[in-house]
Amino acid sequence: MTDDRPDAAAADASSTSDVSGSARERGPAQFSDDDNDDGDGSHLPDDPDAVRHRTPSDVFADATLVSGEPIVVVEDMNKYFGTFHALHDINLKVVKGEVVVVIGPSGSGKSTLIRCINRLEEHDSGHITVDGTELTHDVRNIAAIRRETGMVFQSFNLFPHLTVLDNITLAPRQVRKMSRADAETAAMALLEKVRILEQANKYPGQLSGGQQQRVAIARALAMQPKIMLFDEPTSALDPEMINEVLDTMKALAETGMTMIVVTHEMGFAREVADRVVFMADGSIVEVGTPEHFFSNPQESRTRQFLAQIL
Amino acid sequence: MTSTTWRVWLRRNLFRNLRDGIITLLTAFIAGWILWKVLRFVLITGRWEIVERNLALFMYGRYPREDLWRITLALCVAAFVTTMLFSMWSRADRAGVKRSPRTMLGEIGRRWWPLIVLGIVLLSFVTTVGPWIAACAAISCLFAGALLGRALSSAPVRIRGSAVAVTMLGIVVLLWFLADGLGWDDWGGLMLSLYLAAAGMVLSFPLGVLLAIGRQSSMPIIRSLSIAAIEITRGVPLVVLIILSSEGLGFFFPQDVLPGKVVRVIVVLTIFTAAYVAEIVRGGLQSVPNGQSEAAAALGLSPTRITAFIVLPQALGNVIPALVGQFISLFKDTTLVSIIGLLDVISVSESIRKQSDFKGQGLVAETLVFAGLLFWVGSSTLSRESRRMERRLGVGER
Ligand SMILES: Nc1ncnc2c1ncn2[C@@H]1O[C@H](COP(=O)(O)OP(=O)(O)OP(=O)(O)O)[C@@H](O)[C@H]1O
Ligand SMILES: [Mg+2]
Repeated sequence: MTDDRPDAAAADASSTSDVSGSARERGPAQFSDDDNDDGDGSHLPDDPDAVRHRTPSDVFADATLVSGEPIVVVEDMNKYFGTFHALHDINLKVVKGEVVVVIGPSGSGKSTLIRCINRLEEHDSGHITVDGTELTHDVRNIAAIRRETGMVFQSFNLFPHLTVLDNITLAPRQVRKMSRADAETAAMALLEKVRILEQANKYPGQLSGGQQQRVAIARALAMQPKIMLFDEPTSALDPEMINEVLDTMKALAETGMTMIVVTHEMGFAREVADRVVFMADGSIVEVGTPEHFFSNPQESRTRQFLAQIL
Repeated sequence: MTSTTWRVWLRRNLFRNLRDGIITLLTAFIAGWILWKVLRFVLITGRWEIVERNLALFMYGRYPREDLWRITLALCVAAFVTTMLFSMWSRADRAGVKRSPRTMLGEIGRRWWPLIVLGIVLLSFVTTVGPWIAACAAISCLFAGALLGRALSSAPVRIRGSAVAVTMLGIVVLLWFLADGLGWDDWGGLMLSLYLAAAGMVLSFPLGVLLAIGRQSSMPIIRSLSIAAIEITRGVPLVVLIILSSEGLGFFFPQDVLPGKVVRVIVVLTIFTAAYVAEIVRGGLQSVPNGQSEAAAALGLSPTRITAFIVLPQALGNVIPALVGQFISLFKDTTLVSIIGLLDVISVSESIRKQSDFKGQGLVAETLVFAGLLFWVGSSTLSRESRRMERRLGVGER
């Protein structure tokens, strides 16, 4: 994994740990190849005071909310399923290395939002730009964006007819044209990082849910994505397995991976997120740092929702 | 099991109460009676001379006698290739599990007993040395193939892949060699059925898969053409198509540009089976959850690769029983070619009853029981092997 933050040093001075701190500076990063990672939180919000409640209409003013090089930019995006208006004027900017947690009641459009980012759903208006490439009908753009984004699903979606190792090496070999030997070496390294090296030759059906989800994470990482999308990665897991997956995700966040995570795990949001996005009825209602978000939510919808789940 | 456990088992399963007891006794009586009748017919009252004298006709029709060595050779190659491929992909051989000859023989017996029974029956009818030599050669090839396959089973994928490729090429050469200079219409008997069925399976499978994929295509032209091809073919009885292939094509094409009847029948059987294969495969494609293609798409795989590596393998794995069922009916449906005058097993059994030595003796049961045995051995072997394969693939999805 490379350091995605060239402008690190500049922003660093002002970005003190108040807002950002917590997760990033904890412990030696498990995924990290690069010792520098720990110190520079440059991608994090550089002005704590700027991280504040936004009303729906000015949510998009997030240039002030975060600084750094934007990697996912969603502008005035709308999505319909037939006549059903699933996403209303979505504006969201995610910068490199940021961890954004998306929460909201069932049916609020969280999955639809992140599925639009890698074109599993097609948006109807507005713009989505990922790492400088805009999502259009051009299949080359779609292919380019899918190479840059990894996705982890609620139901794992591992390929049941392939071994764990083949699940992980298939895409690197077919899409990145890696040799089998290289792909397998890389896959083994990833399996070691998600701590299931010994399961490499088993089939997905022979693993526990938590192990399967960690394989799914390794499978997505094998494509060396710049952005990872998680759609409720722990919702299908038994309680005792949730933590092993969350720990893996935390370790991944500590390496500076850009992550957009839909989850109901508020502990994870508090600890790891740089920003929390609250959605309801297809709109982004409120955006803020975990501190502001959980201690001082502005919108009544947000307060209502938090009261229900906390 | 000791005698008490036997008694407990009987009590629990067969004689739990008065009603169960009566049903058990009645069933046992009927089964015993049928078995007695069959055994009596097979061993005592059946007059098998008609089969014995016409065994060659049953096996390969009018194929020239001086060319029979070609068939022996084909049989040997087939035996060699089959066991080679089987042991190349056998779990036990690949894992290097050492098995004693006794357990191996037991395994072979359990797995292949219908074929073994058929071999014994056939050899018991044989009166000359030729077939014995052929049988010995074929059995040696079976073992040679097993040994080579076992040696190759630990070889790298590339070597095993080329072994398979060479084998496939060999089979094509072999078919050409069998037919070489003999004219397709000299084929007959069981060999004709096997040949029609094998060609039909090999050709209809890819065609059916393509039709199934075409039916789900996003391009309207491809989709409607596929649907039309599938539905029209499925709407017509096979007999009609077979008669049409033999009699009807003359309306459209001059006779001399048309290939022989056998080739035309292969085309008809292929198209007919492909239409059913397409529907079976379509069911398989629909059974693969959407999340599979989504996950593959999210990894950046192209639509073609998603179908080839993710959806199709799972779809086919899910429909093996139905596919094999379709191939079994293809095998049995090859008997319909007697309608257009090809000398298959059924027309052989019809015509030999008119031979002067057997005329008017009503040997219908003898000839048809023998013909039935030939088909039963083939069909049951296919279905047993398919269940095995299904269980093996099942390991991946448990
Ligand atoms: N393929 C589809 N066709 C029609 N409607 C859809 C489709 N997918 C989602 N929807 C609708 O869009 C809305 C948003 O769905 P989405 O799955 O994004 O919600 P969510 O926030 O992820 O909910 P959950 O927490 O239950 O996963 C829902 O009302 C849903 O019924
Ligand atoms: Mg969802």
